[in-house]
Amino acid sequence: MRRSTCAITGIAVLLILCGLVRGVERFPPPDFESGHEMPSPTTPHPGQDIYEYIDVAMLLAALTLSSYLVLRKRSRRAIFALMVFSLLYFGFWREGCVCPIGATQNIVLSIFDAEYVVPITIAAFFLLPLVFTLFFARGFCAAVCPLGAIQDLVLCRPVVVPRWVESGLRVFAYVYLGAAVLFAATGSAFVICRYDPFISIFRLTGDLNILVLGGCLLLIGVFIGRPYCRFLCPYGVILRQFSRLSRRRVAITPDECIRCKLCEDACPFGAIQKPAAPWSDQDYGIAKKRLGFFLLVLPVLVLSGGWAGSSLKAVAARAHETVRLAERIYLEETGEVTDTTDASAAFRATGKEIEALYADASNIRAQFGLGGWFFGGFVGLVVGLKLIGLSVWRQRQDYEADRAGCLACGRCFEYCPREHVRLEKAKEVRT
Amino acid sequence: MKSGNNNISESAGPTNAWYRCAVATALVGGIFSAIVCVFMLLNHGKSMIVDTEQEMRLLNLRADSRTQPENEQLLAQIRELDLQIRRQRFRSLDRSRMGGYLLLGGVVIALISLKVMSELKRELPAPRGGADKAEEQIRKAALARWAVTAGMVLLGLGSVFLALRPKIDFPAAGAAGTSLMSAEDANKAWPSFRGPGGSGISTHVNVPADWDGGTGKGILWKSKVPLPGHNSPVVWGDRVFLSGGDPNGLQVYCFDAASGALLWTGDVTRVAMKEDEEPFEPMEDTGFCASTVATDGRHVCAIFATGDVGCFDFNGRKIWEKSLGMPDSSYGYASSLAMYRNLLLIQYDQGGIEDGLSALIALDGFSGQVAWQTKRPVGNSWSSPIVAAIGEQVQVITCADPWVIAYEPAKGTELWRAECLAGDIAPSPIYSNGLVFAIEPYSKMVAIRADGRGDVTKTNVAWTMEDGGPDICSPLSNGELVFLLATEGLLSCHKVSDGTKLWEHDFLEYFQASPSLVGDKVYLLNEKGVMFIVQAGPQYKELAKCALGEECRASPAFADGRIFIRGVQNLYCIGNGG
Repeated sequence: MRRSTCAITGIAVLLILCGLVRGVERFPPPDFESGHEMPSPTTPHPGQDIYEYIDVAMLLAALTLSSYLVLRKRSRRAIFALMVFSLLYFGFWREGCVCPIGATQNIVLSIFDAEYVVPITIAAFFLLPLVFTLFFARGFCAAVCPLGAIQDLVLCRPVVVPRWVESGLRVFAYVYLGAAVLFAATGSAFVICRYDPFISIFRLTGDLNILVLGGCLLLIGVFIGRPYCRFLCPYGVILRQFSRLSRRRVAITPDECIRCKLCEDACPFGAIQKPAAPWSDQDYGIAKKRLGFFLLVLPVLVLSGGWAGSSLKAVAARAHETVRLAERIYLEETGEVTDTTDASAAFRATGKEIEALYADASNIRAQFGLGGWFFGGFVGLVVGLKLIGLSVWRQRQDYEADRAGCLACGRCFEYCPREHVRLEKAKEVRT
Repeated sequence: MKSGNNNISESAGPTNAWYRCAVATALVGGIFSAIVCVFMLLNHGKSMIVDTEQEMRLLNLRADSRTQPENEQLLAQIRELDLQIRRQRFRSLDRSRMGGYLLLGGVVIALISLKVMSELKRELPAPRGGADKAEEQIRKAALARWAVTAGMVLLGLGSVFLALRPKIDFPAAGAAGTSLMSAEDANKAWPSFRGPGGSGISTHVNVPADWDGGTGKGILWKSKVPLPGHNSPVVWGDRVFLSGGDPNGLQVYCFDAASGALLWTGDVTRVAMKEDEEPFEPMEDTGFCASTVATDGRHVCAIFATGDVGCFDFNGRKIWEKSLGMPDSSYGYASSLAMYRNLLLIQYDQGGIEDGLSALIALDGFSGQVAWQTKRPVGNSWSSPIVAAIGEQVQVITCADPWVIAYEPAKGTELWRAECLAGDIAPSPIYSNGLVFAIEPYSKMVAIRADGRGDVTKTNVAWTMEDGGPDICSPLSNGELVFLLATEGLLSCHKVSDGTKLWEHDFLEYFQASPSLVGDKVYLLNEKGVMFIVQAGPQYKELAKCALGEECRASPAFADGRIFIRGVQNLYCIGNGG
């Protein structure tokens, strides 16, 4: 009884104190003699974090719905509607942040920096699309990603990008992913976020250069389907690999391919693979030799890529603020520049030793040297594997959606006569 | 998809009314977006211009307010103008925001119309032949391999281009220390009071020894210094710096060493007096700026008798200024500045020994922030600190009543101290041949070995010469001999080894400038502006006597083939070709 009385009294005292604290202004107002009226203080509303959990819930719901619409409903219109909703919610309403593409960097940083704890909502944003892709193909790209959605919306006059051009351009997405991982791992920069081309559009404000970049990509996107997704998106690179392993995948036809060829030009993203004719024995022999050559070259490419990557350490390390500051201080110290920046003036005000700053910068550069080996080796590996992949003949009897490259947009469904039959049957069943 | 087929559209095509409507809507949306875009760009361009007339006016008003802090009308004008500029800025932002929405709306309308157009004009699929032929597949695969290879080559070339760009070698830069003021540069220049290390020794021996102010012989140029001051000129490259001040202003001057043209004048703000404070009236012999400025080759810093410090770059742009507070100094503050790397060293001795007001302060030359500050157990003094390389170490050596103290210049840590001085200490110390020479006016000269630690009073005092000492002029040494010059004109020469006096000569003239050494000649400038040049040897020998024709109190500065002398009104450049 006594204990509960004490507890109640304590809580009451705490509540009263809280009330008093709310009533006291955080800083005493200055004494104005000019008749100036102090504006009433405003307190930011607590609980803004709830949006983050709502975002995760929305992402989960959108991914579930997208998977259902792509794999079961097979409705382009419904996918389109969900895509527009995602653009409005994740893009314009939530201003493009947090997004799974950028979350990659948080995850990488949390791996390399023990002091950085990745928020659970960001981890969820990174993992949920991967998990869904592993089971239900790239429903995230189809109708959930706002970056994909805005490009999909502007696609009005699609032109075919030759497959060989696409093969060459796709390498850059791997390079971008490698660079993003390198910069995030060294704690230098989140380049994916910094150079997100559509963020300025979602926020209706931002850096002019980024706005121009986004505008250019959208202009290109009028003719070339989703250029960012196909040739640059680093998260798309990961999704491609998960999609290869996907338990269920997008099929052009709901049951069997009758090889009517009506769908062969249906995909604006070049993700429909045609049936492949068998090669002659002579061609097959040449291809085998070529394959052997590329297998031998693969370690050379990895090592030379690693060497090239590490030789970029001085340039790449400039992404780190400490290195930039050290370089600036060096220029000031040697008289190559005549003024100071806010950063250099602030550093000097700390009284820290310049030699210590140089040592820090040197260490960071060494990290980039090591990271450069991995980055360059990764790029070399990608190039080598691509060359190997392009030297292998794959048997294909039907028109198929590319397991890795299909964005599950559902455009091809209505091109398939079997789909029309299915829809008619479904209508009959309903009636 | 453009498939190259000639199939008819699913709809009636361009003749369809809906299609025409979509085209018209797309056009309207597009043109509207373009117009909005143009206006937004104009608005953006306008907002980028910061040096508008209004903003320049505001800057000028703000500059005026520093000198007239009590002018309420001026303050009201500043507030009004500031409000106007802010309003304009926010209006521009509002327009930009509104433009963003309008542009988005226009683009959305145009986009929907384009989508409708493409839907209405969609072509039916038209298959083109059978499955890919093997040759076609092989050709495409080969092309793709080439494309990937081309991508790889592009990346490789980019990497080579980036890798070949110049980069800074941080370990080497760290090992070399900060190279802002290299010893070589500092030795070539005359960067502070009495030149490199405060020694009074010129590294240039080709300076003139014959001139006449009356006839103009040897005088390259003569320029009027706007405000008076007893501080000495400082030379770096083609620039000569000094300061001047009176009750109305504190200024730093930069002269062109070649022509004597006044390149710029930098004003240092004098902190306003408190209402209950008595007006500052310095002694005539000290004035507002007896302290010589110091430069590190990029900054030139000055301190005034009011405790106000200003720092400028070589183009006259004020980098920072700050007030150390009015110093409590019997005859007015007169210690000159010294620089070590980027640190400005200020011997700010004031009050009595027991007051605990004295300190050695190091300000960052770039920001003016206090890098370190070390309290000094001394009373007010007029001596200047010297920065001397002693063995592997650099020391800041200071003199005041009663201590000679050496500090580590980067952090201000005390290295050693010797209790050997008393009274009003004005002569600066010098370092020569392993010994620090400190002067107690009218009393003695003390030689201290500079390799000690802690209190070295009983251990490192090599010798004491108790046959008097100058009251203002600093000593001079060539490593073997030490020269002392009393204000009344008595020049004496002593052995470095034990302080034994070798000779003395009475000029019967008054001197305030400290002696300087050029090669084997000692330059002595008296108050009348006459330079006596004597042999720096064990016997007195007068070599030359050159009159300037103007009173002089400041020590001269030496450069390559030139001497810069500040008269009470003019700055002179004396050269061999004059």
